[in-house]
Amino acid sequence: MSSRWSRLVLVMLFVIALQTTLFADLRPFGVAAQLVLLFVIASGVNHGVAIGAMTGLIAGLMYDFVLPTPVGLVSLVLGLAGATAGLLIYFFRQPTLWMKVVAIAVCSVLGEIYYPLAQAVVGIDGWLQLRLIKVVIVVAICNVIFSPIAILLSRWTLADRKLTV
Amino acid sequence: MAAGQSTRRRAIILLVLTSIILITLDLQNSSAISGLRSVFGVVFRPIESTTRVITRPASNIWNGIVNYNNVLDDNDRLREKIAQQEGATIAAAASVRLSQELLALNGLPTLAGINAVTAQVIGDSPSNFSQTIEINQGSESGIRVGMPVLNAAGLVGKITKVSTDRSVVMLITDPDFALSIKVVNAPRQATTTTIARSNAAVPSPVVPVEPDANSDSATVASTTTTTTTTTIAGFTPSVTTLPAAPSGVSSITVPLASDLAVRETGVIEGRGPTRQPTVRFISNALRFGDIQTGVPIVTAGGSRSLSPPDILVGTVSRVVERVGSAGPVLEIELVADLSNLSFLRVLLYQPITEKVAP
Repeated sequence: MSSRWSRLVLVMLFVIALQTTLFADLRPFGVAAQLVLLFVIASGVNHGVAIGAMTGLIAGLMYDFVLPTPVGLVSLVLGLAGATAGLLIYFFRQPTLWMKVVAIAVCSVLGEIYYPLAQAVVGIDGWLQLRLIKVVIVVAICNVIFSPIAILLSRWTLADRKLTV
Repeated sequence: MAAGQSTRRRAIILLVLTSIILITLDLQNSSAISGLRSVFGVVFRPIESTTRVITRPASNIWNGIVNYNNVLDDNDRLREKIAQQEGATIAAAASVRLSQELLALNGLPTLAGINAVTAQVIGDSPSNFSQTIEINQGSESGIRVGMPVLNAAGLVGKITKVSTDRSVVMLITDPDFALSIKVVNAPRQATTTTIARSNAAVPSPVVPVEPDANSDSATVASTTTTTTTTTIAGFTPSVTTLPAAPSGVSSITVPLASDLAVRETGVIEGRGPTRQPTVRFISNALRFGDIQTGVPIVTAGGSRSLSPPDILVGTVSRVVERVGSAGPVLEIELVADLSNLSFLRVLLYQPITEKVAP
């Protein structure tokens, strides 16, 4: 069990680094693609509610340390997004790739809505605007484009490999 | 299997509780959270720097594809603007120098007396829900939380987080941004009074000058010197002391009290990247008169303000009247272009109330 989570921490360091450098610069229509959110949702879609939630909470906690918002906020948001992704796929016995991609698109929209809602809950107002519509659409499209890579990466990262001697 | 699920459930509950505790601590500005951020920064910065170097070509390709036409248009527009402003800059520099000398003579604080650090923008906010940028100077350069950040045009934001060699700047457009400002409303009339002195001991009578409604400039003439003062809408007419004439006659142009630009204080608040910041709490006092679009907004300063006075913030683009005694809300067009920031200046300014005694 420990190996997948330590692998997750290492992978997340690089995912967050990509998010704060390349994906902070590339802003189609002025919106930054959310790579960390994509990875968490892909984990939920691949491995179910519990793993999705845990991945979101751990990845969010790491991401929190580079964001200016209160530490712990993104952790809760991504935990919820990961769990939602797991729930969407829960009712299908063997979801196809396309079902996973659709689930990623839906959860990307929800994840981007959870964040300003959580900010409003802790008193950081002003982000629930009409611009949110543009943000969720662009983030969902970007996440759909990168979803095959994210699914593969999360599958490799969270694979339950038992160490044998 | 059941044991594994139980462990995961416990881990999730533990992580959720940890997150809630961390949010609570961070909202209380706990130093433990700052320490955790610093520790994470030590581990994360080298990885981020390496990633930045590796991904730079991809960023450049993207910017080349997306922004090429905009850059060409901007170049043409800026060349035109430079040509227009070359002459005005010389006159403005002279006025600024004169203003600073006068402020220094009267013992008033000026921006020229505040040390500044030049910094380069190294990153945008990775989130879509915060208006921040990262700069490449930190506490090593004397930067502290709260210090104002400017570019060549005017105020850009303030420092919100500082590490050893980096800082995070919250832009004016962030909904969390608030700063006390002054609205410099234009005078209702444009009359000036000339006081001519034959010598210091014997004052001459006040000679009113008829207002010139067709012109923006007032001309003061004496037997020896002619000075032309250009009145910029919304700014206090400058007080010019002419050099003493050979006979000892000097002339001072003094605006009437009613002609002086009226200043009222308010608070500027950001409203996100797509909406202009607003100024609230401007009392609808009679002395203030009607607020005109185009009047300048400058920082108010004061012992509790995080910013020194008279940094240009923007101009009023729209006045939204409100019912009752609440006063109008002003929408502000910022002078700084926040979408295209590269080099910034951090004023190493702390209000007296924030300074730590040695």
